Amino acid sequence: MSALVEIQHVTKTYKNALKPSIDNLSFQINTGTIFGLLGPNGAGKTTLISMLCGLFPPNSGQITINGFTHQTNSKACKQIIGVVPQEIALYPTLTAWENLIFLGNMYGLNRSVLIERIKTYLHIFGLEENAHQKISTFSGGMKRRVNLIAGILHQPQLLILDEPTVGVDIQSKNAIITQLKTLNKENGTTILYTSHHLDEAEDFCSHIAIIDEGKLITQGHTQDLIKTHQCQNIEDVYLKITGNKFRD
Amino acid sequence: MKLLYSIYKEYKVLIRDKAGLAILFLMPVVLILVMTLIQDSTFKSVNESSVPVLVVDNDQDSLSLKLKRYLQQSHFFKLTDTVLSYQDAKQEIVKGHYLIGIIIPTHTSKQLKEQSSEKISKLLSSFSGDTTLNPTVTTSKSIPLQLLFDPITKQSFKTTITNSIERIISQIELEAMMSALHKNMLDIYPDAKPAPISNQSIISIKEEYAARNNHSIIPNSVQHNVPAWTLFAMFFICIPLASNIIKERNDGSAFRLMTMPNSYFIVMLGKVTTYLIVSLIQFFLILSIGVYILPLLGIPALNIGNELPLLILVALSAGIAAVGFGLLVGTVATTHDQASLFGAIMVIIFAAIGGVWVPTFVMPHFMKLISVFSPMNWGLESFYAVFVRNSTLQDIYVELIKLWVFCAITMVSAFLYQSYKKNQ
Repeated sequence: MSALVEIQHVTKTYKNALKPSIDNLSFQINTGTIFGLLGPNGAGKTTLISMLCGLFPPNSGQITINGFTHQTNSKACKQIIGVVPQEIALYPTLTAWENLIFLGNMYGLNRSVLIERIKTYLHIFGLEENAHQKISTFSGGMKRRVNLIAGILHQPQLLILDEPTVGVDIQSKNAIITQLKTLNKENGTTILYTSHHLDEAEDFCSHIAIIDEGKLITQGHTQDLIKTHQCQNIEDVYLKITGNKFRD
Repeated sequence: MKLLYSIYKEYKVLIRDKAGLAILFLMPVVLILVMTLIQDSTFKSVNESSVPVLVVDNDQDSLSLKLKRYLQQSHFFKLTDTVLSYQDAKQEIVKGHYLIGIIIPTHTSKQLKEQSSEKISKLLSSFSGDTTLNPTVTTSKSIPLQLLFDPITKQSFKTTITNSIERIISQIELEAMMSALHKNMLDIYPDAKPAPISNQSIISIKEEYAARNNHSIIPNSVQHNVPAWTLFAMFFICIPLASNIIKERNDGSAFRLMTMPNSYFIVMLGKVTTYLIVSLIQFFLILSIGVYILPLLGIPALNIGNELPLLILVALSAGIAAVGFGLLVGTVATTHDQASLFGAIMVIIFAAIGGVWVPTFVMPHFMKLISVFSPMNWGLESFYAVFVRNSTLQDIYVELIKLWVFCAITMVSAFLYQSYKKNQ
């Protein structure tokens, strides 16, 4: 499999920070994989995602997405990426339909294609009947599902998910994970997933990388990592290599 | 297409924000009505026939009648004619019922006639070689006309009033002298049939406002308040606009938009366009109140002259400056509280030094110098120029350029600050 994302010797130090948030990090994400990026609080996950999304450049090193970098062709990079932020990044006073129409248009989708996709996804995620209700009236699970639809409307090659199931009930979590697996299987969408739900990550991700203090600690196939570290599951692996020290 | 959707989104967000709508439209409507009513009565107290004057007429003869008639004809005083003692009249002024009291002593008319006749007789006698009557020597005393002023009366206003009354008295004296002369000449030439004496002034003063096209629109409180509060409302846009930007940043929408190709710029352009349209709606709303609603409250209607396109250009320039300022506040502030507090204080400072509350022409010299740094002053001067002086684009383009440059500076600053934060 070819690499969709290549992270090569990337370092990022925020101004006035004593140590780098990302420290000479290198790994790659192959096309079609579901890649779990795990790590304790302050490990550098958000910084890495922000650089992948082109919000700011690394101090050194390079990030290439399908051969493009944000520095040379940001538009091409951003067209490849779909982002589902941890926050409910929707307009609460607009309806689900109005939010999706606006965000789809921002990706430059054709109106008829956009309307068809919105209808399809609202149906898949069980939100058809709530399409014209304001987001502020939705439950946490419903908001999460609309948040996810907003990130996949343009059918990105790389979908970045920052804790997509935090604070939702089992039904919504199940619907989200199932649909993401379908997206990966049927469309070949590469998924970069971060979460603190390690059992969910073990079940969902084909590959996992664990980072701590901006450095890559380990990476590989999920089951290979469990075997290599002679553990029962990913949570054991995680605790074994990151320790029990509080990070907040 | 993206821009249209962005504008549509902003419109939807705004239309459902009841508090934001109240700030944008209800507040300026209330302000324009309240402030114009207050200031109009203030203007009236010094400009129109409402200076309350107590006339204690102990004379009840030709002089006092003439004096009262002239005072009423001046359209400057509101007379209350009565007979009171000096102490009672003084008490009325002390109580604040009247700004001025005029006490005309008894027999004033009689004394005026006698003294005028005496002066004329002396003058004519001196022509006939009679040196016993010297016209420069006055045998009688001057007649004391007592003026009482409320102590709150400003010196400049007091001087104006005193001069007006003196002018009227001089005219009455002159008439009395002319009448005495007429009578004396008839005594000398009993068969003569003289023409009546004309009271018409020999030199007249012609007043005109220095405006283009010979249009003379008299400035009033409406012509100050409508543009002033339009600008105030326009700049208050900075608070809902800044809140909108902060909300988008805090709820992650800005993050999502920044990950989309070209979208963040388009969204910002959408905000600028939407709030610019809002500022123009505010302008037309307040203009309509000036033209149609204020006359219903007994206040003069706003005369917008024949330069509506130029007025729209001024409103557009002020609007874009206000939106640029809002964009900067929204970019720099990290919380709603910061934006509301900083935005409101800055708008109030801009308004205070810009002449929104107190027109710059009555400000002290130092404040006048400072006022030129307020974008509201540039807008206000442009509106004044169009409303009152019928100016053209040629006369106001410098002020308009200042507003556009202010907009450019604020927008570039917002962009640079955003870039700086991004690279932290």
